[in-house]
This record gives sequence, C-alpha cells and structure tokens, in this order.
Amino acid sequence: MAEQMRITFQEELEQVEASLQEEGAYVLRALRAAVNAVEQADAELADEVIAFDDEIDSRYFSIQEGIQSLLARQTPVAVDLRLVLAMLHANLHLERMGDYCVTIAKLTKLVSDVEPDEGLVQAFEEMGQRAEEMIRIALDSFQRRDLEAASSLVDLDELIDRANRRAVERVLDFGSDESKREWGLRMILVSRCLERIGDHAVDIGEQTAFLVTGEFREFTDASHQGGG
Amino acid sequence: MDMDTMNGVAPIEIAQPREAPRSASERETVFETQGLTVSYGKAPAVSDVDLSIYRNLVTAIIGPSGCGKSTFLRSLNRMNDLVPSATVEGEVLYHGQNIYGDGVDPVEVRRRIGMVFQKPNPFPKSIYDNVAWGLRVLGMKDDLDSRVERALTQAALWDEVKDRLKKSAFSLSGGQQQRVCLARAIAVEPDVVLLDEPASALDPIATSKIEDLMHELKNEYTLVIVTHNMQQAARVADMTAFFTLERTESGGHGVLVEYDETPKIFTQPSDKRTEGYVTGRFG
Repeated sequence: MAEQMRITFQEELEQVEASLQEEGAYVLRALRAAVNAVEQADAELADEVIAFDDEIDSRYFSIQEGIQSLLARQTPVAVDLRLVLAMLHANLHLERMGDYCVTIAKLTKLVSDVEPDEGLVQAFEEMGQRAEEMIRIALDSFQRRDLEAASSLVDLDELIDRANRRAVERVLDFGSDESKREWGLRMILVSRCLERIGDHAVDIGEQTAFLVTGEFREFTDASHQGGG
Repeated sequence: MDMDTMNGVAPIEIAQPREAPRSASERETVFETQGLTVSYGKAPAVSDVDLSIYRNLVTAIIGPSGCGKSTFLRSLNRMNDLVPSATVEGEVLYHGQNIYGDGVDPVEVRRRIGMVFQKPNPFPKSIYDNVAWGLRVLGMKDDLDSRVERALTQAALWDEVKDRLKKSAFSLSGGQQQRVCLARAIAVEPDVVLLDEPASALDPIATSKIEDLMHELKNEYTLVIVTHNMQQAARVADMTAFFTLERTESGGHGVLVEYDETPKIFTQPSDKRTEGYVTGRFG
C-alpha cells in the first residue's frame, strides 16, 4: 500500500512528537538560565527559572494527555506503539530535567550572597554546555531515529560524570575555609543536578534505540559496571 | 513576568498549536433533540433523548444491539416516516426548526440531511448516473459534469473511476460502491450526512478509507455515524453518545446514557454503564 492511511492518527502522533520537541526546547532554555543564575549568583534569574518550570510542566501534562487519548482511541501497534511508549518515557525525562533546573535555581538563591569560586564557575559552565549538547543530541536523534547519534550519548555522559567528580574535588579543596564551606556543599548538589540531567539525556537515547530496534536495553548499567 | 527576557537566553520560537477543539459554548448546534421518543407500534425503541449535535464535527452513536441508535439516527432525517408503525414524540430541532412540524417537507429534509447505509446500495445504473441522480431529481442540472466530478473527488473516488464513469456501479468493489453512495449523498450539497454503520460490510482497508474520508468531509459537512465498532467511534468521532438498552417489564427501550467529547468517553467516562461498555465488561 503506497497510499497513506489513517491520516488523523498519523497527524495526532506527529502533533505529540512536535510537542515533545517543544518541551525539549523549553528545557534547554531553563537549563541555560539556571547555569547563568548559578554562575552570576543571580537570585532574580533563579526566580525566573523556578517560575518558568510551569511552562515545562504544562507541556508535560498536555503530552501525557495526548498520549492517553492516542492509546484510548487509536490502538497503536508496532512502530506506532513503540513511538507512543518512547514518547511517554521521554516526556517524563524532560520534565525531570526541568525539575533539576529548578533545584539548581533554588540552591543558587540559598547562597546568592556569596561570591562564586571562579574555578567552580568554569566547571559549571563546562558541565552546563555538555548537558545542553546532550539534550540537543537526545532530541535530534529521537527526531531523526538516529541510533548511532543516540548511542554517542554514553560517551558524552562519561565526560559530564568526570566533570562532576572534579567539581566535588574542587569543593573538598576548600578545606577549612568557613566562608566557602556552605557554598561548596550547595554547589556539590548543583553539580550533581547537571550530572543527572546528562543521565536523563542518555535515557532518552535509550528510548530512541527502543523505537528504532524494538528492543529495550540500557546503554550502560550502573549496577553492573562494564558488563553492559 | 516576561519569559522572553530570561537573562542572556534567546527566546525559542514555539510553533502555534493546532486549532484547539472548540469549547462547547463556541459550537454551532445543528440538531437539538428534546424528549425524543420513537416507537414502533406501542413499544418505544428509544426514549426521551435530549441531545445536541454540533456543526463540522463527527458525532458517533455507540451502544449494544437494540439500544435504538439506528432508530435515533433515522429520526434525524425523517427516515422513520417510511416505517408505517413508527411514531415520533418530542422534537427534533434542525437549526432551531422542528423537522416534524406542520408544513415541513420530508423530501427537503432529506436533501439537506443525506444518508449512507450499512450495505452499499448503488442503483443499477452507471457510476455517473448514480451520482447525478439526486441532482437531476432536484433540478440541479447546470454543470452536472463538474458537480459529479466534485462529489466523486470529495468521496476520494474520482481517480479510481474517472475513466469508467459509464460502467455500472456494480462493477466496483464493495468499498468503492460505498464511496459511490457517499458521493451520491454529498452531490446534492447537503448540510449533514448521516452514516448508519457505513463500514460494517467493508474490509479493513476500505474501512480505513471511509474513516479517513470522514475526517476530510467534516470540514464541509456535519457527520453523524452509528457504529457497533467502538474503536471506529474512538478513531473518527469528536463527540460520542453512548446509548444502552434499559430493560422494563414490557421489554425494554433505548436510552441515552452519556454524551461527551470522545477522548473523555474513552478515558474517563462519567457513567458506570459507559465504562462497562467501552472496557468490554458490559454484562
């Protein structure tokens, strides 16, 4: 059958997928603002990031609703079913990334009166850029059904993990400097949030792999290092 | 707060969402039934139905056998007039006018409110004459060729039949015959098309074509479909009405249980009886 069939259903699927990409664009924007806020100790911008999460959440809910309606009305099967399930997961991962941006903003506000440590600011800038790149690759590879690009997220995640470990070491180097200790502890959590955003990007990559191959497997397994 | 000012972060172009489903208050009502009861002899087939049908939407009527869904549909264009024992109580307001009122011509009603039936029922004539038939009867003879072409195009059949318009409609497949019947119904430029199980005699591919077609046609017409295929209602309809059979000592009659937007009916119906039916647990 060369002729296209079930046009409404295909349109609805495309619509949900477009919303997912939009949600991703919003997450990228929240992430950039959260990183800027922490680097500049900007409490006002942090407030904006927190408020902006409602925008991400409203897309999350509408995608959830769209998927519910698709499942109830259109009985998707085969690749359509995989797409619906993959979008259900990716939606949650994106929403969770948005929540990490909020956490970064909240941590920023707690210590906005402290002058940021230059070394850590640089580390966050690097991690932030890596996380943004990972989100872009996760979204693009999902859209293009590009298994190879999705798989590349694992290597990128390793880089962000390393940066996270370096950030922790940097804070430990503050030693007994009282003025920096509280700030440092908060910043370890910021670093952790950025690192987790990377993990969620990898998870979206896994959904792309499921969508393309029909088999679900984790790219890496935290509880079985090296074993795959 | 203006989201576009987030420090140093370029705003992202967000595509406008497609036109949202119109809210109930914005919809234009085509039909409004008030206390509609249709009886065959003394026995009501469907009882006391209050239902509004809205313009340019697909409205599906679902329910178990004997729930009166076809009777209800046929009451919308006075098709029940042809059944001698049928009586109608209550009102069917079509754009505010009671179609059972004094002085209303049932033929005019059926011109505006066309119908397609369960089994394809083309006339034993050529494809062209089937579609042109209503036009000729109604004296819509100017541009006959272009009217026929337009109707067949709208019924997504033109490309398949344009080279054999003079062949008998019976030479076509069942799915094509049904689309001829649809073309015949829309050729006379009705306002509403009623479809009574239009795909139940068709294979899945022909069914899918009819369903896609309904999605196209609702831009121009108001469509009401009766179907015993619940998933078909879920796929094609904007609004869904669930009828059921209410048993009484003297037998039983159909009642309207729930009427709502289709996603609501299939994800979160308000009535336990609807839930029982759509989940297949109906006792």
